[in-house]
Amino acid sequence: MSNPLSDMEKPDVIFCIGTNMTEAHPVAATRLKKAIARGAKLIVADPRRIRLAEMADIYLPIRVGSDVALLLGMAHVIARDGLYDLDFMSARTEGFEEFLDHVGQFTPTWAAGITGVPAADIERAAILYGSAKPGAIFYTLGITEHICGVENVQSLCNLALMTGNLGKVGGGINPMRGQNNIQGAGDSGAIPNNYVGFQPVTNPAIQAKFEKAYGRPLDAEKGITKVTALDRCGESIFAMLIDGENTVVSDPDQQHCVHALKSLEHLVVIDIFLTETGELADVVLPAAAWAEVDGHFTNTERRIQRVRKAVEPPGEAQPDWWIISEIAKRMGMKGFDYSSAVPVFNELCELSPIYAGIDWELAESGQYQWPIPYKGHPGTPRLHETEFTNGRGKFSFTHYRDPAEVIDDAYPVWLTTGRRLESYHTRTQTGRSQGIDYLLAEETLEVHPEDVHAWGLVDGGWAEMSSRRGTVKIRVEATRRSPRGTVFASFAFPEVPINQLTGSGYDPITETAELKVCPVRVVAV
Amino acid sequence: MNPNFSHPPITKTRTICGYCGVGCSLDLLVRDNRIIGVQPAMDGPANEGALCVKGQFAYDYVHHPERLTHPLVRGADGQLHQATWDEALDRAAAGFTQVAAKHGRHAVYGVASGRTPTEADYLMQKFIRVGFGSHYIDNCSRA
Ligand code: SF4
Repeated sequence: MSNPLSDMEKPDVIFCIGTNMTEAHPVAATRLKKAIARGAKLIVADPRRIRLAEMADIYLPIRVGSDVALLLGMAHVIARDGLYDLDFMSARTEGFEEFLDHVGQFTPTWAAGITGVPAADIERAAILYGSAKPGAIFYTLGITEHICGVENVQSLCNLALMTGNLGKVGGGINPMRGQNNIQGAGDSGAIPNNYVGFQPVTNPAIQAKFEKAYGRPLDAEKGITKVTALDRCGESIFAMLIDGENTVVSDPDQQHCVHALKSLEHLVVIDIFLTETGELADVVLPAAAWAEVDGHFTNTERRIQRVRKAVEPPGEAQPDWWIISEIAKRMGMKGFDYSSAVPVFNELCELSPIYAGIDWELAESGQYQWPIPYKGHPGTPRLHETEFTNGRGKFSFTHYRDPAEVIDDAYPVWLTTGRRLESYHTRTQTGRSQGIDYLLAEETLEVHPEDVHAWGLVDGGWAEMSSRRGTVKIRVEATRRSPRGTVFASFAFPEVPINQLTGSGYDPITETAELKVCPVRVVAV
Repeated sequence: MNPNFSHPPITKTRTICGYCGVGCSLDLLVRDNRIIGVQPAMDGPANEGALCVKGQFAYDYVHHPERLTHPLVRGADGQLHQATWDEALDRAAAGFTQVAAKHGRHAVYGVASGRTPTEADYLMQKFIRVGFGSHYIDNCSRA
């Protein structure tokens, strides 16, 4: 998030797109509700009539995968009506004249043709956001889990740049991070393109710094993403160490994933339960869980917070840091003689410019949001207040493109996937919590009541849903949350492996899977 | 005065919810090495006293009987069997060494977690970079 969570109560206009915030981030949604109670206006763009849509002043029920068209149409109106912030654009951005020209072609009528949303509503939304002082944008995986995920985000940045809604209290572009420490995983360098603190592996000075710190030569080229690595299992990838991720259930195209992991010569899995992924491993190592280890999580507003051990792990389970270090030491690696998580964190801070101002002791208070470039720096609740990291803000000349697969006679229905409030990812954790089973006992396929009727289904009965990759059996739930022609399911339940169907394509830059769009056929059984 | 001394005392530990990126602060109430309850932290910077149903109630998985309590190693019969830490760690280490020797250092890949503490993620990437000199490391943010 560019802005702190506390800013969520401060915008005049809130634009939520591709985020089911009341279900995925309920406590954050509470803050938005406060803003609305204070008089803020809410725009919601989502294919499904989610709870947030019910609260909206303007609801834009866009066709799945048509976000870029909507955002270009809105930019067109803001440009046409002169709702942009000329002072901000002149002082902080470059190329804005060309951008205003670029969006001239994308009329609301054009956008309406692609999104299925009336042109008049696109105009109203653009005028409302364009006139806001300040206006804030919130999004989640509904924006990124597309083949055009990068263009989606760029299109949102364009809107914020042209209206000057960056670096301001109550403004910003705010992706809500899903998993509790997905931010920390990126921060710590567990990505193929950056070392800790987002230092590019391709920069020679940084390469030299880490060759010294880690005491060995390091590749000057980026690594490969997990998606690519799975594709190459058995061809050029022959061993994997997987920490705490149920890859088999959470990844798109499950058959492919199981096959990939089976073709490895060596698979080691660290986890707290014997997951579907662990079942395929050569070695499974029992980890201490949340509440059993000390360390840090970094939340969606870049706040570094201490997690503390409250109970002993069961049996012989050990903290991840100990397990990984032990494997490393047995392979003869240097630099893994840690006595606890404390020196691990301090080493990370020393090597990371964005954590340079803290250490284990200082992080204790939970008051720091990165970047914290030096000791004594107060941290950075709000990004881009005076300047952008790379100088001037750049507009992106985005274009709309179709999803990787579109509906046709064989697969005439759009399937979109997401999360549910009561479950978490693949339910390795919540599936073993008693109260949660009671609240949400099984997965259902959400179908518009008229489609239930038209397709010969029965509310509460069973359907078979197929894509080009597989078939699952699932119970039908008639609900007007789904628009006609689009159905919804989550991938929370291993018994209903929705990810056997998805995986039609990937964003070419981030290699994020297009989980949000998948043409399917639904028949009664 | 409570004359009942048979109950061990309840301790309170401040931590962060492990379910989503909001990062709500909470206090774990623990008795006898078991979590018996969760209290929202009124002074939590992200949540200011609020918690959702997951943060408030979904903690009992920590004490679930199916938790892994010892290392498992696949035997000659193709099944996973209980092993000592020494056996399991030696086997894990030897496997990576062998694969790297046979197929080269770009044959090994690491997948870190978006749920474990940052320290675990940092060491996952360090394991790959120090061990193999590559950047063959990722986390689950793409799925
Ligand atoms: S309590 Fe709910 S909203 Fe807060 S971090 Fe946990 S899951 Fe997220």
